[in-house]
Amino acid sequence: MKYAITDKCVGCYACQLVCPSQAVYADPDVNGRFHIHSRRCTGCEDHYDAPQCASICPIEEAIVNEMNLPVNPQGSLTGIISPGAAL
Amino acid sequence: MERQSMPSTTQHAATRPADQVRHLLPKDIQQQIATHPCYSKQAHQYARMHLPVAPACNIQCHYCNRKYDCSNESRPGVVSRLMDSDGALKQFRSIKRRAPNLTVVGIAGPGDALANSQATFATLKKIRMEDPQAQLCISTNGLMLEHYASELAAAGVHHLTVTINCIDPAIGEQIYPWVYYDHKRLRGRAAAERLIQNQLAGLEAAAAAGMLVKVNTVLIPGINDHHIEQVSQEVRRRGALMHNIMPLISAAEHGTFFGIRGQRGPSASELEAARAISSQYMPQMTHCQQCRADAVGTLGGGCGQSEEPVVEHSYKVAVAGNGEALIQTHFGHAKRFEIYRFDKQQQQFIYLETRQVAQYCSGTHACPDDDSDKQLIIDAVADCQTVLCARMGIAPWRALEKLGVTPNVDFAFQPITEALASIAARIATPLTPGGNHEVCHY
Repeated sequence: MKYAITDKCVGCYACQLVCPSQAVYADPDVNGRFHIHSRRCTGCEDHYDAPQCASICPIEEAIVNEMNLPVNPQGSLTGIISPGAAL
Repeated sequence: MERQSMPSTTQHAATRPADQVRHLLPKDIQQQIATHPCYSKQAHQYARMHLPVAPACNIQCHYCNRKYDCSNESRPGVVSRLMDSDGALKQFRSIKRRAPNLTVVGIAGPGDALANSQATFATLKKIRMEDPQAQLCISTNGLMLEHYASELAAAGVHHLTVTINCIDPAIGEQIYPWVYYDHKRLRGRAAAERLIQNQLAGLEAAAAAGMLVKVNTVLIPGINDHHIEQVSQEVRRRGALMHNIMPLISAAEHGTFFGIRGQRGPSASELEAARAISSQYMPQMTHCQQCRADAVGTLGGGCGQSEEPVVEHSYKVAVAGNGEALIQTHFGHAKRFEIYRFDKQQQQFIYLETRQVAQYCSGTHACPDDDSDKQLIIDAVADCQTVLCARMGIAPWRALEKLGVTPNVDFAFQPITEALASIAARIATPLTPGGNHEVCHY
């Protein structure tokens, strides 16, 4: 397992559309939630310089790496950093 | 392109109200947009339908927040329910059956139509097979437009909207924090350069492929308001047919970058000034309602806008239900109403729009709870003369009567079409003359 999707995911399908390994799948039980298949995910290492899911994901902290650290931390995509800003 | 060459009446254009675009457009174009309510204000009696099949986006704009999904919101990029292409076809059939005035089927998000190319093209093909008369249109941020322009034309897309806010990357980097292109997330100046370059090339390709291209520009005071003339000149040079300058929507509670930073939207006079500048170069569209990506109905009422300056003197019927052919929904359980308006020429009811009950939330509550639900349902139909449903409790019945709305359960479990025909026969006498159904202006 390289990457995983957290419950911040808003279900926009973008990562599923760009994953070269078809590792992203919709949660069968929770509408609008997605997961990354741990064995299918290659981290895109054999394909691209950067993981594709994390390169298109619009939601900060929705994708984490092996260390459980967000690939797109707060403020890194929207420029919104103030703590009260998160909705 | 030759057909877009403009008569040499620019000094008139500057003094003429910016919305009178017909004189500027050649006759053949006028005919092509005559039944498209987003292109022609005169087409307001025609309904359009946005199919929310495109959830993903490949860029971020500072006026957009992808987290939001509340049916109380009415603005671009917001939907309550996504659909796949089969669901979209089903929805189209269900609306089309009762809405002969449904002329336009579009894909406008909630992400970008061309970031979801598979879903978008699958949907376009299904709708076209079902109804070759339907006018297909899409709106896009333009990042992938050049790539798909010929495929779109081949799929029968005739109307296309591309949002171009600036042609200068220095301005663009204040609007777009990132762009996903060619498997990379670009940021800053590089993102803006890529996006603008692709937008302009895409616009040119789409116009060359024969599509009628409208350019949307979000007017952002202090960021692109001094830049409108350059945008207008450039997009016209590339083949855009008309310009739709829209005011920035930036309420803090929407959680967008601009909203949180306190970036204000333009005043009415600032918007008018920008349109006047652009009108020197291109016809202006001024009746845009900035619809949701799942909006259905005519432009005058289908967007959940609360401010409707024009009072309609026509007979409207609300039918409780969820798209069924029969009247089978209890009033108190209604999540949506189909609204039909009596058409005096045709002497029958014409489908106007579908209203989501939650849209009528006043905004004082974050979300409707059980108590406010009842009031929301009543508010949703308060402007109608008759409400058709299967059953109704005595409290809402009285509340509606007080508002001058007549509840009617006589047609319970009967087809909607028969109920409407029966009511039409009863009221088929001239009503108050000449309701002005013009949509509101900013």
